[in-house]
Amino acid sequence: MTTTLAGSATPILNEELANMLFAATQEVFTSMLGSDVQRLPRSDAEAANTFDGVLALVGLAGAVIGNGAVVCSAATACDLSSRLLMTELSSVDEQVLDSVGEICNMIIGSFKNLLEAVTGELKMSIPTVVYGKNIATRNAKAEVAIAVRCGSPGGEFELTVRLAKSGAREHEVRFI
Amino acid sequence: MTEPPNLLIVDDSTAIRKILLRVLSQTGLSLGQVLEAGDGREALKLMEGHEISLVLTDINMPNMDGLELLRALRSSPKWSTVPVVMITTEGGQAKVQEAVGLGATSYVRKPFSADLLRDKLASLLSK
Repeated sequence: MTTTLAGSATPILNEELANMLFAATQEVFTSMLGSDVQRLPRSDAEAANTFDGVLALVGLAGAVIGNGAVVCSAATACDLSSRLLMTELSSVDEQVLDSVGEICNMIIGSFKNLLEAVTGELKMSIPTVVYGKNIATRNAKAEVAIAVRCGSPGGEFELTVRLAKSGAREHEVRFI
Repeated sequence: MTEPPNLLIVDDSTAIRKILLRVLSQTGLSLGQVLEAGDGREALKLMEGHEISLVLTDINMPNMDGLELLRALRSSPKWSTVPVVMITTEGGQAKVQEAVGLGATSYVRKPFSADLLRDKLASLLSK
């Protein structure tokens, strides 16, 4: 599937969007977590219907609408938060939830800044963070769904972006 | 002898407030109180009771965002000249221009390099 601006000669492939998402993640890990991050292979068959752990989600709105999310286990959430705050955190508490929310905010914010070259200005919501078991997410309106699996010293996590075109007229976006 | 400057950090993320506190402690400068607010409305309340020399603020926050806070400060005779540094994920040119147009002193995009931010803050606080 490709995403193009109406009238644009340069369609954007889902893989390019995934590359943008991973580039944004690398920037956050290098600058704020002092840690490496690797992109891991992923197939659609790996996508679980439900999961246990932490989900941080930020909404996007403009010529496209949707959201970006970070999904990880409780242990990985604690490790990422410990690196961000330079403090040992061993259980999921307010600090960990706030930290994972901010990590998601920075990753999706950097991704948004890259995507705006195609879509024009987008607005972001403040993060929402969920911690629990058997969490299922659903976005019925999404026309494009991207998932990037990553590995870090503290464990694996997944990034997702789901987008659909909106009614905003300034930059019309077409999904093919 | 001049009093050490009081600072105000405005961000709805406690994680970012902690990181900024750490960066400020690494400037090596003598600082007064470093106050924290979770949004622009809370920041304005805190500023009523304190002499603030520098404001570091996020943009995307509930209740009152950073641009609204900046607008309120610049329209107040008391706070029209206080330096305001925007520290935000919003990196789009339109947002930067809006902040600069409203009178932001500096604009730092998250994620940031702690070293660069420390040097920038040290420079602003040394003036």
